[in-house]
Amino acid sequence: MTAHTKAEIILEVKDVQLTYERPVLRDINFCIRNIVRPGFSQGQVVTLIGRSGIGKTQLFRIMSGLQTPTAGQVLIHGNQPVKAGDMGVIFQNYYLFEWRTVYQSLLLAAKKNKHLFGVEKQTIEQYAEQFQLSGHLHLYPQQLSGGQRQRVSIMQQLLKGSNFILLDEPFSGLDVCMLDKAVELILQVSLSDELKTLIIVSHDIETSVAISDTVFILGTEPGKAGATIKKEIDLIERDLAWQKGIKQEKRFLETIEEIKGCL
Amino acid sequence: MKKLIQPFATIKRQTFMLLVAGQVLTTLVVWHGLSAGLIPGPAKVAAAFFQLLGSRLLLDNILVSLLLTLKAMLFSILITLGFTYLSVLPFFKSVALFIVKCRYLTLTGLIFIFTLLTRDGSELKLSLLVFGIVPFFVTSFLSVIVQIDPQEYDLCKTLGYNNWQTLYEVIIVGKADQVFEILRQNFAISWLMITMVEGLSMSEGGIGTLLIKYNKYNDLTNVLALQLVIFLIGLCFDYLLGTIRHWLFPYSKLKTVKAT
Repeated sequence: MTAHTKAEIILEVKDVQLTYERPVLRDINFCIRNIVRPGFSQGQVVTLIGRSGIGKTQLFRIMSGLQTPTAGQVLIHGNQPVKAGDMGVIFQNYYLFEWRTVYQSLLLAAKKNKHLFGVEKQTIEQYAEQFQLSGHLHLYPQQLSGGQRQRVSIMQQLLKGSNFILLDEPFSGLDVCMLDKAVELILQVSLSDELKTLIIVSHDIETSVAISDTVFILGTEPGKAGATIKKEIDLIERDLAWQKGIKQEKRFLETIEEIKGCL
Repeated sequence: MKKLIQPFATIKRQTFMLLVAGQVLTTLVVWHGLSAGLIPGPAKVAAAFFQLLGSRLLLDNILVSLLLTLKAMLFSILITLGFTYLSVLPFFKSVALFIVKCRYLTLTGLIFIFTLLTRDGSELKLSLLVFGIVPFFVTSFLSVIVQIDPQEYDLCKTLGYNNWQTLYEVIIVGKADQVFEILRQNFAISWLMITMVEGLSMSEGGIGTLLIKYNKYNDLTNVLALQLVIFLIGLCFDYLLGTIRHWLFPYSKLKTVKAT
């Protein structure tokens, strides 16, 4: 097992319930701890897995502060209830303001980050170079490919300066090449800061598990209405986290089967 | 050929132009065939049209009408923007919705009230035009606001914007190009109404006054020639407003094109 310690709780979901005409989510309880890995600025990559229509998007919106749960709360920054704007959010289709150029969109986000005051332009240029978008700063989103939009979305949320980044189905609709690039990008972001925490909501089990340190499985239980966290899998304990080429390993495939069995 | 009557079939631009030319030609032939007695033929109308184009009378009257229309459009869009931007505040929503319903009011019964409220014919025409145009502008712009993708608001929230900043970014800045589209779409209404209101105060002239005069003496040749002028000016404005929109807001003409 890779050397690491799990330090303080950085995000806690407490007794979250969501009910419309019937319960959608019930008794959602889990927490994310800061993982300290010697020699690395190791952030956290957590995946929430569940079947389509189980309530993943609702949980995503609750965690991002865009939706208020019927009961319970999401706590960050030492027991502060989460509110919209606290988390970076990357939507499934990488939505960007269609009337803003890439540069303008990034500047809007950078201006929200107090730590970047006065150096917004330079920081944007640095990020653009790092994300291979230097030549695209003055284009509109309609002129970008899916992969480029994704990178701009991620840059925008990184520039905003939130430690938490929620990604809704980041691998959906990507071809094989783009999928590898997206994975690489997420890993790059997770290693950029000790407290950087990426929460991936996905139904693409293999890809999300391969890059995560923890998996939470959202599912239903017999006789009970509404989805809840059925299982938490610590991938570090199983020596499945932070390993390249893990997808071919037998124990990885066994874990995938285990997850599928829970859904 | 089969494609021309197939649903959703796409045809070449050249084919489309040929098709339009053929249809125009057919219309002219039918028109020519039907014209007799009081109904002037296309050649007669065309001659009157060119004669009108060369006259000072037409130019002066067009300028009067255009000036009045542009003034009315300016006032209307300012009023529209004010009410539609404010419509996101519950207090003003009811007012905006009432304005939308005012489309069903007819001006005819209100002319006397407007005459009492205004100082002269010029003000009367302007206020009637504005009153007639604003409900259509507000209806169009409100539908733009209603159809805003919820993700636009969500993105603002995730960037930490408050409600006022969201209003500015999504509605004022984000939909600025739509204002021009609404102007373009509704120019036809103001252009249609101009001929009506100019008939109420004929001292200042205008294309509507000219049309009423020709109509009064059953001068159908000049009426049709003038209608053609009105139609062409409308088309020019349609094109002009579309071009200005694309020039001011380049993203409005972009489709999803992959960057190289």
